[in-house]
Amino acid sequence: MNKLYLGGAIFTILMLAFTYVSVGGSEGGLNGDIVNMLAIAGAVALVLISVFVVIKYVRQMQTDTADGELADESWDNIGEYKNPVPMGWAIMFLGTMIWGMWYFVIGYPVNAYSQIGEYNEDTAAHNEKFNTQYESITGDRLVEMGESVFLAECKVCHGLSADGIEGKAANLKVRLEAKVVKHVVENGSNNHLLGSEMPMPDRNGLFNNNTGALITDAEIDAVSQFVANGMNGAGAEVFAGACASCHGEDGKGMEYVAPNVAEFTPVLVVNVLNHGKKGAIGTMPAFDRLNAKQKEAVGAYISSLSK
Amino acid sequence: MFHWLEKHPFFFAVGVFVSIAFAGLIEIVPNFAQASRPVIGTAPYSTLELAGRHVYIKNSCNACHSQLIRPFKSETDRYGHYSLSGEYAYDRPFLWGSKRTGPDLMRVGNYRTTDWHENHMKEPQSVVPGSIMPAYTWMFKNTADINTAYAEQLTVAQFFAVPYNKEVPMKDGSTKIVKMGESVADANALALEEAKAIAADMKDQDVKDAVANGQIPEIVALIAYMNSLK
Repeated sequence: MNKLYLGGAIFTILMLAFTYVSVGGSEGGLNGDIVNMLAIAGAVALVLISVFVVIKYVRQMQTDTADGELADESWDNIGEYKNPVPMGWAIMFLGTMIWGMWYFVIGYPVNAYSQIGEYNEDTAAHNEKFNTQYESITGDRLVEMGESVFLAECKVCHGLSADGIEGKAANLKVRLEAKVVKHVVENGSNNHLLGSEMPMPDRNGLFNNNTGALITDAEIDAVSQFVANGMNGAGAEVFAGACASCHGEDGKGMEYVAPNVAEFTPVLVVNVLNHGKKGAIGTMPAFDRLNAKQKEAVGAYISSLSK
Repeated sequence: MFHWLEKHPFFFAVGVFVSIAFAGLIEIVPNFAQASRPVIGTAPYSTLELAGRHVYIKNSCNACHSQLIRPFKSETDRYGHYSLSGEYAYDRPFLWGSKRTGPDLMRVGNYRTTDWHENHMKEPQSVVPGSIMPAYTWMFKNTADINTAYAEQLTVAQFFAVPYNKEVPMKDGSTKIVKMGESVADANALALEEAKAIAADMKDQDVKDAVANGQIPEIVALIAYMNSLK
């Protein structure tokens, strides 16, 4: 017995010495350093508790005897007493079973984490915030929003300044460029600019009422320049004769009949965003993942560019 | 029986393994089979698109561009609906990524067009000022490998039952049939037909001439693949 305590004491002293050397040897040592002092105090407590608890149980193993009625079963001659289950253990066991049933039936199914669920909540919260903040904006704020959407979604094709990057996409600073007008007059168009299908015939269906004949190459060039110049210049008569019956005398279009060719309107832009467009330069895809307010804002921004 | 098991630890271990494996089987397999089923609207790649996919992989586009839209509002606003596992049913291998030097391309076909890709691959800075993407001018000269794409089609159709020449349901309720050639020559003809439609929207005269002469430059295949990503 004394041997056991002696061994414990020697082991304790060794451990404490080792702790002291390693802590005291570190930067700052023990002097006045509260963290190192706490560390060594903790180490002393841990070593003392560990050593003496171990000694207690070793002694108990050496001296303790057990008694009670043996169970019938015997595994490789290792028997088992029929002692009652400790109360604390039994309560824990039953408690775990009840918790398990609750978790399986209610806890997990109702409160399970779902990434998509979180995404849906997040999206709903964002949309709610968007609606309360921006649903009713008009005027300059709408144009500002349109500009920020434009810079995020449209600038890769139409360019930072909306000039179409040297003809790679439509120049949005003017309503129509001459080559675009020319292409449409020659080939016709069906771009859902009014929101529904409303095809414009190609040059074989365009009569100049002034001459009573099909539109000619010279007339196409003249009217293209006229429209591209903002409804100014020499082609006015051709426009009046061939185009005005649908697009209006002033080129501002007619509802359900023909789009505005004199200026951008938000509705026109929204229709292009909804349906995409195919024209003289190439194809523009639909941008229907923008929400209604964002489309309206882009329309307001683009309309503001050419004014 | 339990006494017997307790006396035979090896068979006991086997029994434990079988029980746990069975639980895993009934939990994992049906869910996996459901989630990996192609979603409606996902069609197999055509020969030209597959050749474009090979160009994409060959040039390591996936080193900078992921094809995986995560379910975050900031991502779905920019790239479209978050990715579903069934949308990768015909991707072998899938081209996910956790690093984006460039933007995600999972649904690039929805918002970029043939002519934009042409401008961009030739000189990225001309359409995206400040872009660090290099130009891929050789794609306008190299010829796409249609035969390898056809070989892959044949393989996946045979071993993984990829539905070529069969009706595939689309989102709008219609069906689509992705054709696969009967022979190598047939596959090349189909790919050329598709390439002509792409080249019609392009401006590069060399590319147009090559397609008119029956050759398919890599850029045409790549654009076909880009346009198919929706």
